[in-house]
Amino acid sequence: MIKAAQLHKEYRMGDTVVHALDGVDLHVRPGEFISLTGASGSGKSTLMHIFGCLDQPTSGVVAFQGEQISHMNDKQLARIRNQHIGFVFQTFNLINRTSALENVAVPLVYTRRSFSKKTAMAALDRVGLGARAKHKPSEMSGGECQRVAIARAIVNKPLLLLADEPTGNLDTRTGRQIMQIFHDLHSDGMTIMLVTHEIDVAVQAERMIQMSDGKIIEDTAIDDERREEILNVAHDEHAKAFRDKAQRGLRSKSLTPPAERAES
Amino acid sequence: MFHLRIMMMALHGLRQNLVRTMLATLGVIIGVGAVVSAVSILQGAERDILERFESLGADQILVFNGSQKRSHRTTRKSSLLPEDAEQILEENPDLIRAVAPQFNGGGQTKYYEKNISGAVLGTTESYALINNYVVEHGRFITPQHVRGYSMVCVLGYRVAEELFGALPAAGKTVKINGKSFNVIGVMEEKGALGFVEVDNQIIIPITTAMGRMFGASYLTMLVVQCQSANRVPACIDGINKTLRTSHRIRAGQEDDFSVFTQDQFKEQLSQVTRLFGIVLYSIAGISIVVGAIGIMNIMLVSVTERTREIGVRIAVGARRFDILKQFLIEASIISMLGGALGVVCGWAMANFLSEFTQVLEVYTPPIIVFLSLVMAAVVGILSGIYPAIRAARLDPVQSLRYE
Ligand SMILES: Nc1ncnc2c1ncn2[C@@H]1O[C@H](COP(=O)(O)OP(=O)(O)OP(=O)(O)O)[C@@H](O)[C@H]1O
Ligand SMILES: [Mg+2]
Repeated sequence: MIKAAQLHKEYRMGDTVVHALDGVDLHVRPGEFISLTGASGSGKSTLMHIFGCLDQPTSGVVAFQGEQISHMNDKQLARIRNQHIGFVFQTFNLINRTSALENVAVPLVYTRRSFSKKTAMAALDRVGLGARAKHKPSEMSGGECQRVAIARAIVNKPLLLLADEPTGNLDTRTGRQIMQIFHDLHSDGMTIMLVTHEIDVAVQAERMIQMSDGKIIEDTAIDDERREEILNVAHDEHAKAFRDKAQRGLRSKSLTPPAERAES
Repeated sequence: MFHLRIMMMALHGLRQNLVRTMLATLGVIIGVGAVVSAVSILQGAERDILERFESLGADQILVFNGSQKRSHRTTRKSSLLPEDAEQILEENPDLIRAVAPQFNGGGQTKYYEKNISGAVLGTTESYALINNYVVEHGRFITPQHVRGYSMVCVLGYRVAEELFGALPAAGKTVKINGKSFNVIGVMEEKGALGFVEVDNQIIIPITTAMGRMFGASYLTMLVVQCQSANRVPACIDGINKTLRTSHRIRAGQEDDFSVFTQDQFKEQLSQVTRLFGIVLYSIAGISIVVGAIGIMNIMLVSVTERTREIGVRIAVGARRFDILKQFLIEASIISMLGGALGVVCGWAMANFLSEFTQVLEVYTPPIIVFLSLVMAAVVGILSGIYPAIRAARLDPVQSLRYE
C-alpha cells in the first residue's frame, strides 16, 4: 500500500537542523493494523503527514500504491487524500459552525461528483451517531466528536486510515469505544495506522512500530503471547514508577492505578 | 454542482457572522447607496425638466436678451422690444404661427383685506394661444386691451381661489402694487407651464406692464411658435434675420439676443447631468475603494480564524485552488450583499428625500441597479484575491497545528 525508503525530514532553524525523520524505511501492507509509538518529538506525526500526502519528505521515496508522491502535482495529491486516505486527528478538527452531518460531508464536496446526504448519513450510522446528525460539535461530547471525525475520514471509503493520537484527548472508557470502531473498520478490510502514547492501545494492533529520534527502533508483529509480555513489562514499570512516587510522598493524578489497566 | 456547494458553504458561514459581515461591507453599502440615490434623483430631475420642457412643445422657440462681452465680464444686454414680436410675425408669415412678447414682474395683489404676492406677467393675446392655456371664466386679454394700455388683468386659477374663494372674480377690482385693475377673467387650472407655476400668476397686457406698471423699455423674452416642429431651424433663421435687421447689427457683429429651442436645452441639460455624473461616480469610486479595503480586512481575519478549517479541508481532499475559490466566492457574496443592500438603501433614501421635499422627482433606472451589482461583484473578487491567495498558500501541516 505504502512503501517508504530512506525518508528524511529536516527542519532548519537558523544554524541548527532538526531531523524529524532520519532514515525511515517502512512498508505498510494492505489490511494491516499498525500502531506507532514513541516519545514526544520522535517524528510520528511527521511520518503520518507524509503518508497522508499533506507533506513531502526532504529526501527519500514514498510510493502510494506504486506511485511516487513526490512526482505528483497538487491535483493528484488532493485526489489521493480525498479518495484513498482518511485522517483522524487528536483534536477532532471539526468545523464548529456546521452540523455533524455536514462535517461528515465535507470530503464529498471535494469529490466533485453529485452526492446525496445518504452517503454521509451512512458513515454517521457506521459510527453509531445517526441520531445526532443535526447536532453541532459544540453540542456533543469529545468521544462523539471523535466519532464524527472518523465518519468524515471514512465517508469516501478510503484504503488507508491514518489516526494521530485519536484517543489522546479522551478518557479510557471513551477511548475504548473509539478503538472498537477502528477494530470494526479493520475487520472490514481497511488498512489502519494509528499513533498512540498508550501502551494498552498500541498492543491492540497487529503490528507495533516504535520510533525514537526520527528512526524506527522496533517493528514487531503482535500476537496474544507478545501482547501479554508487553503489557506485563509495562505493568511492572508502571507499578515501579507508582511505588517510587508514593515513596517520595508525591501523588500524581496522571498515573492511572494499575487496577484499571488490568481490565483491558 | 461543486460551485453551488461552495457557495452554500460560504453563505452558511456568513450567516453565522451576520453583524461582522454587514460591517465589513458597509463601505460598499454606502458607495452603492450613494450612487443609486444620487442617480435616482438626478435622473428624476432630468426627466422632470424634460417633461416640463416638452409641455412647452417642440415647435416653440424662446428668444432672450443677449449677452455682451465687455473686457473680462459678460453682462446682459437688453435689446428685445415689443415691436420685435409683431415684426417677426409679419416678416415670416409662412413659418411662424404666433409670437408672444413677455415681461415678467412681480407684485402684491390685494382685494380688500386679502393679499397675495406672486408673478405678474405682461403679454398679449398670443400667450394663451401658444400655450394652449385658456380662460375658464370671463375673457382673456384682447388686442384692444394691449393697444389701449388697459388696466385689466386675468387671474391664475389659484390666485382667484385665494382672493375670491367661490365667488365670481370677473368684474371685480383688485389692486396690484397699489394700482387698480379690473378682473376680466380667470384662467383654467393648469399647474405648471414649463418652469412657471401659472396658476399663481396674474396676466396683464404687455403695454400696461411695461408702460404703466414697471416702467420698462425692454422685454424679458419672446415666445415664438412655428407652424410645425420640423420647421424650427428655418424659423430660427427667420428670427435671426428680422432681429439683426431691426436691431441694426452689422455683418460680423455678434447677436444681441439669444435663441433657445427644446433641442438646445436638452443638449445643455445632458451636459450638466454628465458633469454631475462625473462628480458622483468619483465619490462613489472612493467609497467603493474604502469598501474593498473593509472586505479585504474581514477576509484576512476570516482566513486567520479558519486556519485549522483550511488545514482540514486540504487534508480531506481540497485542492489549493478550491480553497482559493472558496474565499473568493465568499468575498464576492459579502460584496454583492452590500451591493444589494446599497441599492435598497439608495432607493429608499431617494424616495424619502422626494417624499420629504415634495419637489424632487425620483427615477431609478434598472441599468444602474444591474451595474451596481456587477460592480459589487468585481469589488468582492478584487478585494478577495489577496486573502484567498494567503489561504490557498497555507501549509496544511502548520494549519492543523495552529491554535
Ligand atoms: N515546522 C517545524 N519546524 C521545526 N521543527 C519542527 C516542525 N515541525 C516539527 N518539528 C520538529 O520535528 C520533530 C518531530 O515532530 P513530530 O510532531 O513529528 O513529533 P511527534 O512524534 O508527533 O510528537 P508528539 O508525540 O508530541 O506528537 C520535533 O522535534 C519537532 O520539534
Ligand atoms: Mg504528534
